[in-house]
Amino acid sequence: MNTRRDSLTAVTAAVLAAVFLAPGLLCAQQTGAPPAATTGGIQRETKIIPIASGEWTGPRLRDGQPDVQGHWSNTIANHNNLTDPQGGIPGDPAARPLGPRELRAPSRVTDPPDGQVPFQPWAREKQQELLRFFHNPIRPEYIEPLARCAPAGVPKSFTWHGFEIRQYPGYVLLLFNSGTRIIHLDDKPHLPENIKLWNADSRGRWEGNTLIVDVRNNNAKARFARTGEFASENVHIEERYIFSNDGKRFNYVATITDPTVYTRPWTITIPVRRYTEEDEPDGWHFEVAYANHDGPERIIERYERICVENNGPFGNVAVTGR
Amino acid sequence: MSAVGQPSSGRRAFLARTAGVASLLLAGLVAGRAWAHDPAGDIPRLPNGKPDFSGIWQTTSAADYDLEPHGARKDAPPGPGVVEGGFIPYLPEALEKRRWNFENRHTADPRLKCWTLGTPRGIYYPEPFQIFHRERDLTIVFQFGHSVRTIHTNGTKHPAEGGNEFWLGDSRGHWEGDTLVVDVTDFGDQTWLDRSGNYHSTELHVVERWRFLDANTIEYHATLEDPKVFSRPWSLSVLLHRHREKNFQLIENYCFTLDYDEYYPLPAGSMPK
Repeated sequence: MNTRRDSLTAVTAAVLAAVFLAPGLLCAQQTGAPPAATTGGIQRETKIIPIASGEWTGPRLRDGQPDVQGHWSNTIANHNNLTDPQGGIPGDPAARPLGPRELRAPSRVTDPPDGQVPFQPWAREKQQELLRFFHNPIRPEYIEPLARCAPAGVPKSFTWHGFEIRQYPGYVLLLFNSGTRIIHLDDKPHLPENIKLWNADSRGRWEGNTLIVDVRNNNAKARFARTGEFASENVHIEERYIFSNDGKRFNYVATITDPTVYTRPWTITIPVRRYTEEDEPDGWHFEVAYANHDGPERIIERYERICVENNGPFGNVAVTGR
Repeated sequence: MSAVGQPSSGRRAFLARTAGVASLLLAGLVAGRAWAHDPAGDIPRLPNGKPDFSGIWQTTSAADYDLEPHGARKDAPPGPGVVEGGFIPYLPEALEKRRWNFENRHTADPRLKCWTLGTPRGIYYPEPFQIFHRERDLTIVFQFGHSVRTIHTNGTKHPAEGGNEFWLGDSRGHWEGDTLVVDVTDFGDQTWLDRSGNYHSTELHVVERWRFLDANTIEYHATLEDPKVFSRPWSLSVLLHRHREKNFQLIENYCFTLDYDEYYPLPAGSMPK
């Protein structure tokens, strides 16, 4: 196993860069073809398995929190497309024809029922413009910020590689491929309103099997998908992480409110599964290595995530392109 | 090191005085620690009885400006230095790069690009960092760049395949009494040790010693060896103070985004107020 992990991210990024730049590969990656094996490619479940909010019967940490520590990743697709997650990026010059819509996973927008973001007309027009120029980014704002190593933000981080949850008395820590979130479980007030952050400011509390997080101070600079959906810095997000009692899954259900951009609040749902020692690291959903130690058991480790320093983002020109 | 040369005689006297005061203070601290810690008691502890370093920490030292004794400069407040013995024992052939770094520090310091500061620099950089402590590991989240370092304390070893060029190194810790001893290897050579241009190569090996002086103060001690750059191992030490301000928290500082963040969510004028 190559543990040159300054590079795990860099290698992944390089692969993605190739995917991003090579039409043939782009096509294979984005037209909904199932992965060749479970150890490669991006997961392509087509259903969201419901998980009800309710009692937590699983293990707890010493401070009483449900113990949900470990490695997780979304089960459906990456961040290419918000409303047709397995549909690739519309306008992709290399795209192949898609099959029937109903054979692919549903929209990540689970409310309104039509699966569309309830944009105000001006915002819909803007989103369409961002999407139209995604493959031909002739202006700086057409380059997705993640391609410059910016944090993937809330909620897109949950559709960008796997992530790790670590828990502590008073905190839930989310370690993403690009960016980190500290969720405070105490009742300290949010930061002053004028401080706006890529990963926002999070206050959480547990109700049974559900972690409910109030997300404010969001700079909204990280978009929701490559399809250009966005919010303004007035956005308020209430997240519900609903964990199944077998510890194997959770559904991320977030209600997004922003009167500057939308006509009504809307809801995004991202199904997530756990990865354990039983899984093989795959470089995307499960970006880990096994520790070097004397015992027989597997111990999972996460290596540092480095992006901009290693010239890691896809399309390196994007780093300095202004 | 003042402009990488020898200190002037006036400055040398100043430095000597400063060092004298510093050692008196240090002696006081050491004495204070001896009785404050005996019997060991009033420090936070994990369920397994080991010290619990959870909290938000920051040094008040001028270490990041220059690890070595230095008078005031336009770009640095004065500081008595944090290197044991005063100066870093560079190999003669390593001094040229040190000199170049110092002269070009206003453009060449990796911190100016918001790059990961590395180990040990992240610890004495003048922004807070937060330690999240479990029995199996310590997670350090640095406000600067929001980079994340994990110190493993579960008996695991450095990666079998060495020579990894990590920005923060590979950190494996164990306990010697109430002192956390961390062995750090597998470094790249792109990080600096401070903003005056002290540096290292990929051969850097750091041994850190973390211990409470009291519940709100950590003594951080690091020994650095690097046979390509230093003539012998050398040590530095700083105190880390717990942030106790009401409602204090880290404020993420992804400063590497500042050159382009004006274009997002949309350029000015594209969004209704």
